Parts: sequence; C-alpha cells; structure tokens
Amino acid sequence: MAGVATLALAACGTNGGGTGSSGTGAGGTGSANAAPVSNGAAQVHITLANSPSGDSCTIDHPQAKAGPVTFTVVNTSATAITELELQSNQRIIGEKENLAPGLGAVKFTTTLGGGSYQIYCPGATKEMQNFTVTGKAATSTGGSASALLASGTAGYATFVDTQLSAMKTATGQLRTAVDSGNVAQAKAKYAAARPYYEKIESDVDGFVLPGHSATDNAGNLDYLIDMRASNLDPKVGWHGFHAVERDLWQSGKITANTKKLAAELDSNVGKLVTLAKTLKYKPEDLANGAAGLLEEVQSNKIKGEEEYYSHLDLMDFNGNLEGAQQAFAYLKPGLTVLDPALTAQISAEFSKVSGQLNTFRSSKDLGGFVPWTPAQRTKSAANLSQTVQGLQDPLSRIAEKVATQG
Amino acid sequence: MTDADQPRHHVGRRRLVQGAAGGLAAGAAIGLGAGWGAGSASAAGAPDDHDTVDLSTQHPFYDEARPAGIKTPQQRYAVYMTFDLAQGALRSDLQVLLARWTAAIAQLMKGAPIGQVDSVRPGAIGQDTGEAAGLDAASLTVTVGLGPGLFDERFGLSSKKPALLADLPALPSDNLVAASSGGDLSLQACADDPQVAYHAVRNLARMVRGTATTRWAVLGFGRASAGKGQETPRNLLGFKDGTRNLRSDADYDEFVWVDDASEQAWLRGGTYQVVRKISMNIEVWDADPINDQQSIFGRTKNVGAPLTGHGEFDTPNFHSRNATGKTVIPADSHVALAAHENNGGVKIMRRGYNYTEGINGFGQLDAGLLFIAYMSTPQHFVTLQSKLGASDRLNEYISHIGSGLFAVPPAPKSGHYIGEQLFA
Repeated sequence: MAGVATLALAACGTNGGGTGSSGTGAGGTGSANAAPVSNGAAQVHITLANSPSGDSCTIDHPQAKAGPVTFTVVNTSATAITELELQSNQRIIGEKENLAPGLGAVKFTTTLGGGSYQIYCPGATKEMQNFTVTGKAATSTGGSASALLASGTAGYATFVDTQLSAMKTATGQLRTAVDSGNVAQAKAKYAAARPYYEKIESDVDGFVLPGHSATDNAGNLDYLIDMRASNLDPKVGWHGFHAVERDLWQSGKITANTKKLAAELDSNVGKLVTLAKTLKYKPEDLANGAAGLLEEVQSNKIKGEEEYYSHLDLMDFNGNLEGAQQAFAYLKPGLTVLDPALTAQISAEFSKVSGQLNTFRSSKDLGGFVPWTPAQRTKSAANLSQTVQGLQDPLSRIAEKVATQG
Repeated sequence: MTDADQPRHHVGRRRLVQGAAGGLAAGAAIGLGAGWGAGSASAAGAPDDHDTVDLSTQHPFYDEARPAGIKTPQQRYAVYMTFDLAQGALRSDLQVLLARWTAAIAQLMKGAPIGQVDSVRPGAIGQDTGEAAGLDAASLTVTVGLGPGLFDERFGLSSKKPALLADLPALPSDNLVAASSGGDLSLQACADDPQVAYHAVRNLARMVRGTATTRWAVLGFGRASAGKGQETPRNLLGFKDGTRNLRSDADYDEFVWVDDASEQAWLRGGTYQVVRKISMNIEVWDADPINDQQSIFGRTKNVGAPLTGHGEFDTPNFHSRNATGKTVIPADSHVALAAHENNGGVKIMRRGYNYTEGINGFGQLDAGLLFIAYMSTPQHFVTLQSKLGASDRLNEYISHIGSGLFAVPPAPKSGHYIGEQLFA
C-alpha cells in the first residue's frame, strides 16, 4: 500500500520523464555503460512499453558503481507488465507495483554492493535482465527462500496429520450417535466432523490406498469419504459423509444401512490417518492446494451442491478457507522473501473473504453459519463468489513463484 | 480531422462480410435473401458501403476529439457490463484501475492481446485469456462510463461530481430490478464479432478483480439503431427503429457532447450515457395484428415510413388528420411521443442493441432492447421517457427493467488515461 501512495503523489507532478534516458550517450567516466551519478546516486531509468512483438522492459544503463542507486521506472504503454523487482540471488531488494501506463514515473533508491543483480519484469518478452554493480561487494544477508519453504512444508505435513487425527475422533462420535438412533445428535456430530476434512481435502491426490490405481474409486479414500450424489461411480456405489447426510436430513431416519455407512466412514478415516503420515509435500503442493480449496468453494459450496440435504455449505466453505489459510501461512515466511507485495496482497484478500463469511455466522444454527438455502444463495452467492475470486487470482500465482525455488 | 468516423484499416488480409439490411447475421442473410426481397435490400437499393462489415477495421482510441464507441459507426454486437468498486478500495486503486483499463483498451482495439497467451514458464498463468487469438480487431471500441457512486466520500472525488450525474429519477412505467441497474463503472464493448467484444470485457473484468466486482451484464446483437450512412436496422418487434437518430455534426455538438463551462472541466468533450434494459413481451406482440402494431409505432412495418408518408425518411406529419378527425399518426404512438417536434426540440443519440437471455421462468422468450443513449444532459432522456412511460401504447408490450446513468470522460491523450484529470 505504501508503494501506491508514493505513486499517487508522483502522478501529480512528474510526467513525461524528461530526464535524459536517450540511451546512446551515457557519457560517464570509466565504463561506457555505467549509470551517471547525480543527486548522490547512480541514476538508472527503466521504461516499460508495448510493441508489436510484446511488452518490453528497457534499462538504459545495465551497470552502476557500488553505492546508492536510484531506479526510475515509467510505464509508457505496456499492459502486461505491472510490477518490477530488483533481485539478488532471488531475494527481492526493491520493487514497484501498479505500474500502469499513464501514471507518473516512480522511483526507488537502494544502496547496492558490488555483484550481479537481476531486474525482473514479469510479463515482459524478456523478463529477467542482468544488472551489474562494480566496486566493493556487500556482505550477504541471510534467509534463503528455499530453506524457509522447506521448513514450511514440514510444518504443513504435521498440520494435516493433526487435523486427521481429530477427525478420527469426530467420526467415531458420529458413529456412536448414529448407532444410538438419535437423529438430532447424529446431525450435530456430522456437522462437527465435516470441517476437518474440508481443511485438508486439497491433498486428496495422495489419498489412494496402496495397491489401487488412481482411477479405481474402490481404493480412493476421497471417493469413499466425501463423494456427493451428483458424481457417483455406479460400480462402487455411495459411501461416506454425504450418504449419511442424506439419511439424516432427507428421510430423517436412521436405518441399519445408515449405521453401516457411519461405521464404514469411521473405518476409512482410520485408514486415511495412517496413509497421510506417509505423504510428503513440495512447496507448490501447498500453493496449488490452497488454490484448489478455493476452487472447491467456487464449484461446490457456492452453488450449494456440497451439502445438498443439510445446507451446511457455509461451514464447509469456512473449512476450505481455513485450510487454504493454513497452507498459505506455512508458505508465508519463504514467500515473503520472494515476493512481499504478493504476500501482503493475498493476506489482505484472505481477510476480505473471511470478513464477508463472518457476516453469515450464526451461533444458533448447526455448524455456526446460516443455512445455505436456495433463497440465501440467490441473495448472497454472487457477492461472496466474487470476493473469493479476488483471492483466487493472486493465490494462483504463488505456485509458480515457489516452484522455481528448487 | 481525427474524427472517430474515419476507421483505420491495417494492411493484411481483409475479411469482408456483406451485411443485409436489418443486421441479419451474414450466413442467414445469404440463405434467406430472396424471401426478404420486398422490404430489405432491393427496396433500399444497393447496400451502403457502411453496411459491409470489414473485420480488419480498427478504430483509433488515443488523441481523438471524442471518446470511442459513441459516434463510431455502430458495430453489430455489444457486451455491456457494469461494476462496483470493492469494499475498501482506495482512491489510488481506482486510479490504477482506470490507467490499466485505458492501456488495455488501446491494445484490444488494435486486435492485440493484453499480454502473453502461451505458457512462457512452467506453471505460468496466461495474461490474456486467449479466446480472441486469431481474430481481427473487428471494429472493437470500448467505452468507459463513471457512475454516480464514484463521487461519494470513498475516493475524495465529491468536488468533481458532474452537476447532472445522479441516479435517474423514478420514471413512469419503471419496473426496475436491482440485478440489472446501477454500478460504479460501466464498459460498453462493441464489435462486429461478438467473441471480440466478449473477450475485451472478460479481460478488462479480470484485470481488476479484487478492486471491482461485476454487477450486471447484457449481451447485445443486431444493432437496434443506426448512425450516419447505415441502414436502419430492426428491433425485435420487427420495426425499424432509429430512423431519426442523430447524424449531423451540428446535432452531436448541440445534443451529445458536454461543452458547458458550468460543467466539470474533466467531463468537457465527453458525454452522459443512459442505459436501460427493456424487456419485450414478444409472444404477446407477435399475436397483435400488423395494423395495430403500425399504429402503436406510428410507422409502417415493412418500409418504416411514417403513417403520413411513403418513404422511411419522409418527415412525419403529426397534424395530418383522417376522415374521422383523428391524427393519422396517433398522438400516443411511439413516434409521436418521441419526436423532437413534440418535445421542445430535444434529441438524444441512440446506440441500442437487441438482447436475448434465453427463456424466462414462464417459458416465454426472454428478450428485448438494450437501450443505450448518449446526451449532453440526462434531463433530455428524463423528458422523453416521462412522456413515453406515461402514455406510449408500446408500454403494453415492454417493460423497463434495468437502468443506469454514467458520465463518459473525453478520449485520453497518448500516454495518459481515461479520467486522469479527476486525480489532478
């Protein structure tokens, strides 16, 4: 946000960028390509422009002497480039966002030691360009992004295990309630068990039982635990949460089959607890998983397809959101090093979504949210969906950032 | 001489589509041509040059005397969408939104994508969504409107609010629904290829997610009004509409462009956009005898002549009476009520489109007119619609279900953006 404020100020005054970025007569002493020094800093001008072959990011001087360097960035016509970063070994040293054409030039000054740096213009035909600083080398500052990300994935694995072990307890209680024949109690236990799964369901790729192929639903724990009526595999039949949901809400009766389904659900969750301990995650799995949880929100929860009988969709939505928030939180230390602006943007969008979801909280309703009935959806789905979309877009850009960290 | 009337052609392949009178899609026109003889091409003579669609046409955007998409010869298709600024959006967010839209519109109007379509890195998200790849510019214009809501306390722009920019007052026969009314911003994308128009709006919407949310949208086809040199098209009631639309520069200067020293400086050279979504009771209309339809409109159905004349462009005579002493053109007909002669000389520039949204909850065709009009003062629309809404015989067959009013800033200069002066 601070960057935007600077930009707004600059937009009032400087426009047209008249300060000699002619490119040909660099004229400084020593290296012909070194940026000239004025106001106590080396002056580098970067121009973003559109051309028939794509957007370009042009640096007038690819070299500077060690010391303060001022980068002046102006976007004359590029639509694909809206940000620019100065990097050193993948650490971000300085950056500017919201570089829209027509807005005034923006500047940032940073003191650089000798060494090689990169100017990164995402969206340009040539995205990464070298920038060399000659003179005394600066001492390296710590915090490697890849180490931070690796420790994040380990933390996330523990989070998944914790959720599943709590879920096992909850499905055990659901089974007991169903066995007792008390429908109201069983409904309450159903609502209590659901959110655990919704928080970690992005990891379902790994939920295939040993010895089964990924396309065999009989050995797919995600199918056996969470399949909805709309997507049944006739060979395998209906199992899991939503089959129990139908009995409890549609007919309001607990039959021998309901008891069988609840027992089977509990047993399959037990298998999942064991299986999940063997899973390993890469940083991009967390990023893709977080984005995937929001896709779940958009494709099933918003439309009310997930909890078709009980209308508990907003509770599931909240589970998906919390799961995505957790995955993001484990990536955050590493991601902050790679891209602090994107990290801050995503954090802000998460707050918007949870803020909006909070307006639907209701302590008197099962699951803690108002029922997501057709009438409620007509009223609120479009707004909610667009807020989620606002989060989904920046979130979908994380995977690429973290995947390239090795 | 930089008039938006003059299209620019880029060199390269030219893809021509011969238009039929009435804005039929090209394929249908060729197949059905013979059956339409009496009323269309043969009666009107050889099709005018402007009715031949050249998909390679590009219209200029920057440095024009007027904003694009108003006086520009009307294209065949439109996508109209309005937006609200997201909760918590800042003044600087609005500024960035307008700057990014401006640059992107300039590029889209050249038929170019707004960034990479192909994957440039593993895992990269496309910057342009790609569905217009391989398509020409198709005369695309995108027109940006600013709604009254932008000038409330949120963005510190209240002192810049145009004097006349406010939601339209309640008008007779209004049956407005919130889901197709209002908005902080509007986009009117017009093109001779619907996919080009849709691509533009989709990408402009995408680039502002998180800052602005979509509010309502209408897909328009078969332009329902004509500009200079264009055949008068037909609306979904089968009548020629827009015969008396504005054509002369003098009319534009007098009735369309904001040029009043008392108006906000940033809006001078721009205009006001009134948009109305008007649903039609198609089935009921289709069961009405043609002579009744003609007296409702005040024009003949086939030729489009006023009931007092023979040719489409004959000036209606609202005083001529028949043997029973009644005016030949009924005083409560659409033409009589809308005529400038009967409204103190008031004219508005219409740029409407037919729309369809499939079938409604009662199994009836859900279709009508996306009425878009431009004028130097919204009061002119209020004047006309107050009268039409109160006594137009057409009201039995139509319903105004959507409404919006937007200020359209002048065209940006190169290197600048739409509405930039607001933030000065």
